[in-house]
Amino acid sequence: MQKKIDVGPVGYMPQSAPMMGVELSPEGKALLYGNVVSEDEAMRDAAKALLTMQNPTIFPGPMVLWDWKDDVADKSAAILELASEIPNCKIIPMPDYRPKYPKIDVKAEINPNHPNLTILDNKIKACVFIGVHCHYANLTLRMIRAGTDCYTVAMCAEMGHEEAMASIRDVHASDVLKFRDILVEVRKELGIEHTATMPPENPSLPKEDWGDLTPADYGEYRSLIMSRKGEHVAEVE
Amino acid sequence: MSLDKTLLSMDELLKLPREKHFITGAQAMSEAVKRSSTDMAIAYPITPQSEVMHLVGDIFAQGHIKEYYRAEEELGTMSAIAGAARGGVRMFTATSGPGLLRGLEAIVSWPGHRIPCVLGVLTRVINAPLSIQPDNLEMAYLMHSGIVMLHAENQQDTFDFTLAAFAITEKVDVYIPVSVSTEGFFVTHAKGYVEMMDEKYAFEECDPYKAPVPAMDNEVPPARIQRDAPVQKSNFMSYLIHSVWQQEIWDSNQRAMKYMYQYIDGPIEVQNPGSDVMLVASGCAAAQAREAHRYAQEEGLSVGFVKVKCIRPWPTDEIREALKTAKTVIVPEHNIVGWLCKEIKGCIPNGGIVLEGPRVYGGMTLPVELIMTEIYNALGMDSLVLQA
Amino acid sequence: MSLRYMVPASKFKRYLPKDYVELVDYGPFGKDYSEVGVKNMGTFKELVEEHPMCSGCWMAYYIKIIFAALPNPENTVTIGTAGCGRLAISQAAVPFIYGNYGDQNAMASGITRAFRLRFPDIQKDVITIAGDGGMMDIGFSMTMHAWFRRERFTTIMLDNEVYGNTGGQESGMSIEGAVLKMSPKGKNFGKMPAMQLAITAGCVYVVKMSPTNINKAAKAIRRAIFAARKLGPTFIHVYTSCNIEYSIPTPDVFRDAKEMEKGRFAFEEFMTPEAKELFAVVESKKKREVS
Repeated sequence: MQKKIDVGPVGYMPQSAPMMGVELSPEGKALLYGNVVSEDEAMRDAAKALLTMQNPTIFPGPMVLWDWKDDVADKSAAILELASEIPNCKIIPMPDYRPKYPKIDVKAEINPNHPNLTILDNKIKACVFIGVHCHYANLTLRMIRAGTDCYTVAMCAEMGHEEAMASIRDVHASDVLKFRDILVEVRKELGIEHTATMPPENPSLPKEDWGDLTPADYGEYRSLIMSRKGEHVAEVE
Repeated sequence: MSLDKTLLSMDELLKLPREKHFITGAQAMSEAVKRSSTDMAIAYPITPQSEVMHLVGDIFAQGHIKEYYRAEEELGTMSAIAGAARGGVRMFTATSGPGLLRGLEAIVSWPGHRIPCVLGVLTRVINAPLSIQPDNLEMAYLMHSGIVMLHAENQQDTFDFTLAAFAITEKVDVYIPVSVSTEGFFVTHAKGYVEMMDEKYAFEECDPYKAPVPAMDNEVPPARIQRDAPVQKSNFMSYLIHSVWQQEIWDSNQRAMKYMYQYIDGPIEVQNPGSDVMLVASGCAAAQAREAHRYAQEEGLSVGFVKVKCIRPWPTDEIREALKTAKTVIVPEHNIVGWLCKEIKGCIPNGGIVLEGPRVYGGMTLPVELIMTEIYNALGMDSLVLQA
Repeated sequence: MSLRYMVPASKFKRYLPKDYVELVDYGPFGKDYSEVGVKNMGTFKELVEEHPMCSGCWMAYYIKIIFAALPNPENTVTIGTAGCGRLAISQAAVPFIYGNYGDQNAMASGITRAFRLRFPDIQKDVITIAGDGGMMDIGFSMTMHAWFRRERFTTIMLDNEVYGNTGGQESGMSIEGAVLKMSPKGKNFGKMPAMQLAITAGCVYVVKMSPTNINKAAKAIRRAIFAARKLGPTFIHVYTSCNIEYSIPTPDVFRDAKEMEKGRFAFEEFMTPEAKELFAVVESKKKREVS
């Protein structure tokens, strides 16, 4: 198969996949490296990437992170089942589309305005996007292809994404489960042994320990907390 | 909708039997709006567009659309459309020449803001001294905005393109505004035959959740949402997001091409491909070029005709194919800059075969003889003798 | 249904970053104003926390008050324009629209009408928050006409009497004689009478104030939102100094606001008889019953 688009980094200012002639797949079909293929073929290649490349990660977007529609429960459960079958899989959410001040925590989240930061920092070489609105998914996938060497899988509820290495369209919970089954099959073929394990929870969640915080930790802003001379501030909001 | 209508997909709607009416271009546009399940229309007067929004006001009063008001001026109109469309409703407005330019700051931001809506552009002179006459120079200002642009030749096109525009603009892989232009007065105020389906049928209603961006309605996650990121920091990351965002707009524009085949029978119409002289025109000029083509056929000349229906996305491949054996290309236009001529020159490998003109502007009509003269010249015939 | 869009899918809660989880668990959504209002700031997860405004910015402080005062944050959309304010507003956990220059009140006209069409039974509050330049200069026509049309949303003008974000130019709201960029010899006309313009144009509730008292500031914001739901346009003209362009040392920002309160930003409140009647009802009830 001729790869119309491939894993990056493609460079400083890449052409977009649609401008390179990649078109969205028709209903019932998928895209693999920019070519229209059967859904099974795309899923098999994607599964292989997730099983053999470093730090496979699933990036769920707002449409599956929040309980806004009745199908979210099934879909989110299916995504976790998929994640549990991938050895070493992490889940890093994209909870937001706006640029965040002062910066995002690259271990805890991914942002469509600079997705490559999360990919590069975590050395992610294969990933799945699901539940991200198409506009932001396209921006994200293009920036990842431009600046990283990460294999991208798009599981889209609508028409799919030209920029992804593997793009599955019209995805429901059942399609996620189908992908899981194919992944398990490919895993067996590859001879990788694995028992289903849930990915670790978000690293930002453990409570931070402010116990030994002192005014000195505030540097040039320490005057703002107005401690008196000799006072030791033990508790700070 | 208060009237009892049967709602259909655009494909189903377009397959319905039609009845022939003799109506103006302005009526044709409002008749399309009537069948579009538009939620809200915002009006502001300018000649020659006003007629369209008067009629849309009438169909609002009859209950075909749910909300309508006259705004303060075009920038207010176009901004309110951007607000309402983000709120998840289907929007329509129309304007002309100077009005388009007054609203342009908002209009050119619509694609980047992912605002689906339909904009009627009933063309008019924009340059000083003031004139209300037809001239489509204003379309040149839209060509680099990312907006999808259709150009109607006559009243029938105005109806068909406007109706199709409502389907195209809300496609998940497009979701940018679609403009439907036609020449002021020549089409808007003149009657022509228009075949229309019964008005009890309408296009299915807007689904704001079938969209590539979240509606700003407190019903779609994320909560911390600002759809249009202000990426104003001076660093590589902010330049990069802006550049891929711009690419996405033009990709979306390009993705609209398949819907030209689905809904308006392709982006161009070609007659007599392979002729030595090819006439290429859009809008009202296409009607005159079509007539010149007919004359030429009667005279047995090797002349073909291409009508460009869709200015954006630009049908590069289709135009190249249609003109690949042409020796001369003549581009009649209703503006002084020749924007269509420039586009054609830029898209074929042998741009030198494209003649500059004939062009008329400032409200001048485009006589078929003007085009015939160019044809005779191109074929090395003495036009004066032939005309006499 | 509105609250659903901010409740995490149960399966994913443990995979969300901390601040999103806290926003739901400890934020003000769906809670009673007596627990999560301005009086309780610091004890709950506020809608706007970190922001890039200058140290000592009085505008940033007032923006925090706006978000803490919202009667119905889960059903609120804010709209702004270019200017410093949007740097903080855009960080709040409330949908924010940043459009073009000065178009906030035209956009709000469109979106409030859209909401009434789509959600006839749900009250969605729309608030435009912009600076003196966005509201009274570049957006003047759209501001005024939205009021003349009796569009039902709240307009808040953050008046720092200067174009702060673009580097300190004269605005229509700068005082006469102010030497600023683009008025190198001093401004040669006075402040535009924004409050009178709002009353003339048909706003049903108008306040001018320097927000030195957070309860008073919050009360005005809430009144403006309640009146906009039922009666018509409302307007708050509030002094939010620019301590950079007017060289106010950070420790003196509050003193400056106090002085303004005695001067040209002395508290003034206008309400129509209908608004007065409405406030009497609303303020005698608990927050949840009226929202």
